[in-house]
Amino acid sequence: MSLLSVRDLSVKLGPAPILEAVSFDLAAGGSLGIVGESGCGKSMTALAIMGLLPEGARASGEIVFEGEDLLALSEAELCRIRGRRLAMVFQEPMTALNPVKTIGFQVAEGLRWHLGLARGDAEARAVKLLDRVGLPQPRFSPGLYPHQLSGGQRQRVVIAMALACEPALLIADEPTTALDVTSQAAILDLLAEVAEEAGLALVLITHDLAVVWQNTAAMLVMYAGRVVERGATAAVFQRMAHPYTRGLLAASPGALDAPLPAGRRFATIPGTVPDPRHRPAGCVFAGRCPRVQDDCLPAQPADFAIDGHAVACLHPHREETPL
Amino acid sequence: MRDPGSNLGSDLGSDHGSREIWREYWLRGRRSAAFVFGLTVTLALVAVALLSLIWTPYPVDVMNIPAKLQPPSAAHWLGTDQFGRDVLSRLIGGAVNSLAVSLVAVGIGAGLGVPLGALAAARRGLVEEVVMRFNDFTFAFPALLSAVMITAILGPGAINSIIAIGIFNIPVFARLTRGAALSLWQRDFVMAARVAGKGRTRITAEHILPNIASLLIVQMTIQFALAILAEAGLSYLGLGTQPPAPSWGKMLNEAQTLMVLAPHLAIFPGVAIMVTVLGLNLLGDGLRDLLDPRLRRQR
Repeated sequence: MSLLSVRDLSVKLGPAPILEAVSFDLAAGGSLGIVGESGCGKSMTALAIMGLLPEGARASGEIVFEGEDLLALSEAELCRIRGRRLAMVFQEPMTALNPVKTIGFQVAEGLRWHLGLARGDAEARAVKLLDRVGLPQPRFSPGLYPHQLSGGQRQRVVIAMALACEPALLIADEPTTALDVTSQAAILDLLAEVAEEAGLALVLITHDLAVVWQNTAAMLVMYAGRVVERGATAAVFQRMAHPYTRGLLAASPGALDAPLPAGRRFATIPGTVPDPRHRPAGCVFAGRCPRVQDDCLPAQPADFAIDGHAVACLHPHREETPL
Repeated sequence: MRDPGSNLGSDLGSDHGSREIWREYWLRGRRSAAFVFGLTVTLALVAVALLSLIWTPYPVDVMNIPAKLQPPSAAHWLGTDQFGRDVLSRLIGGAVNSLAVSLVAVGIGAGLGVPLGALAAARRGLVEEVVMRFNDFTFAFPALLSAVMITAILGPGAINSIIAIGIFNIPVFARLTRGAALSLWQRDFVMAARVAGKGRTRITAEHILPNIASLLIVQMTIQFALAILAEAGLSYLGLGTQPPAPSWGKMLNEAQTLMVLAPHLAIFPGVAIMVTVLGLNLLGDGLRDLLDPRLRRQR
């Protein structure tokens, strides 16, 4: 049985459909990457799972986590699960910590709140957690304030906070976007390490295909609020069946081993993501797709399965990509 | 990036004993001249106010007409007023009044205004509308006019004028708290706290209020000063402290007609109010610097 099972998740913000029919499964201890460009619904998916959608947003469908439909739970019941079984790491470590509380207090508060530990016990465990995420004593005392740490160090604190109550699922929303390249690799390694150690499932949201390739077993490619391609990471990378996935890879600097020849620019996907209020009736990617044909325009393509992975495209790439 | 290991916070937080923390505050606080001055003035004011309860150089309200309007002398250090009462004694006696007015008025304002503002920011929607429109309603009346109304209903006197002033501090604090809290609610660390499974009340208590504490402290010192002045205004209208009880504001107002004849009657209460307000403001600034970890300097 899967730990997290999302079925036909749709989110509307006013009249605008932000997410449409998003479905995926994640087994306990598994890892899932969600990729896509800005505004495609990656973060909204995460917030919907956490039950923290912005005011005015309505979610429908099912998000079954450990046998409970999160969308059917009350706020009080969600508060019991959040931080305890479900945890999240944010994009911006500079603002994800309370500037006027010590890092020790912030790591310990989840323990005191959810596990009911006494202050001393919680703080002792906070020290161990800080040590685990690479902030050892005595250099990194729990009495430090966030402004005394660098971005990478703060992100480690955020990870320690997320791990505190030994959750079953950790959602990392662009955890390395705000960090420099060296810290990025270290933070991703740390996430993968702690996930494996604690047997927790990891959802890694990013726009960087290389990050997904290195860190996750399965992946979703999202575009304009829809899942356009999903499957095992290796299979998706091998086939790159959806034109959008290929566009993303072509536009990614990591895909090029050799430096760009002089005068050549990165490939881009022309156009922008359609406004959620005015999405086309047919395939949402049709307006920017190099392979668009007449039959793409009238109707939304259904998932099309190619051995083990699914793609929402009427004319997917069928040949394997030379990786 | 500074080396975190060498920072002040490290030795502070590793030992959570409260005695250590107070010692740390004291060591840091005494390096700021403004804070020391503000603290000294405020403590002196409190001491003087307490002293007046048991002793003043002369009785506060016994008239001595032959000795009226004397300039400062060895017998009467700050001179005498139009009824021959000792100005120094009345200033000392009036300190209680000024302290009570500022503490209680700001206490009422902050005690009700901060929770209301925090509630409005945490709940939004209808609750916020009701709270903020109630604020607008209170603000819409000229403060003095409503104070007149309140004292007219409750009867004149020091206590009632304090309540009237306090009610006018409620919207000041409610607005400030809501505005600051709203921007904090948008911050990632509040989202992180929600992700950690905390409810609105806990987030408000543990994350929102500590972050706006410095703002509130500064506002409080301003309102302290305004409350002393407002009490003077009400006393002038005969709605505040009733004669013969001493009040700095009342002394200042009574001195108006005698400015040319006996300027010391206006100068000394004026100086007393000014020094008190200055002391409270410096204390507030100093406290803000002391309590905000982001403003901490390295040793």
